[in-house]
Amino acid sequence: MKLFKSVHTYDYPWSLVSAANWQKYPNEHCSHVYAVDVLDRRVEPDTGVLITERLITVKQNVPTIILKLMGTGYTQYVREISRIDPKSKTLTMDSINLTLSSYMSVAESIEYTEHPSEPGKTQFTQQAAISAGTKLARWASLVEDFSAKRFQQNADIGREGFNQVLQRFVVRAEASAANQASAASS
Amino acid sequence: MSSSIGTECTDLKQKYDTCFNKWYSEKFLKGDTTPECEDLFKDYKACVMVALKEKQIDTLLADARKESPFPPPSSSSNSEA
Repeated sequence: MKLFKSVHTYDYPWSLVSAANWQKYPNEHCSHVYAVDVLDRRVEPDTGVLITERLITVKQNVPTIILKLMGTGYTQYVREISRIDPKSKTLTMDSINLTLSSYMSVAESIEYTEHPSEPGKTQFTQQAAISAGTKLARWASLVEDFSAKRFQQNADIGREGFNQVLQRFVVRAEASAANQASAASS
Repeated sequence: MSSSIGTECTDLKQKYDTCFNKWYSEKFLKGDTTPECEDLFKDYKACVMVALKEKQIDTLLADARKESPFPPPSSSSNSEA
């Protein structure tokens, strides 16, 4: 098993980041994310926490050698459960792949929280555990190394992509605020 | 806006997403947790369920929910037990 961890600070307030997170895809940096579907969603009545179950369809570019080993195309289905607590300003997302887990499983956990000392910023923590499955046990370390590298690349690309999403989100929010202001004043 | 796994569901999904995103920013984050987009979600979900069945992902999801149910029991809402 390989463990991966990455920490990052976004220069935007948590409320904006958490809203933009729902609109993260599509973005040109993450073309491997093919579809995102909400399966279930509810607000817990006693806590006010929003919980959402999503299915993410991923089409990853994988070296042909690995596709040959697996004898399969490479569409992955990932189940994600997120919790958003607007009071503590915390968003967590846990995800795991549903398919191909006999080859490999990737359990990822992401958290966005308000920055403890700078409330206008958001702290991002991403952790993942990557394990080769039974069918690749003989090549476990090779496959885990490759996957950890790919995960790191995707994490970097994902961060870049999300930064652009955030920038666009801010522009749109300002434009709509300006429209509302001019509508109110006319 | 992102696509749905069922191409025929993408329109319904985008209508629902638009409603949800507005609700999320304008209501939920401001403390109003009353749901507003449930009818749109019902239509979208009905479409997705068919697509999941066709692609045989419904059984994978059912298995995953056995291990890790939704909604998750970790929160304080386990009063049904």
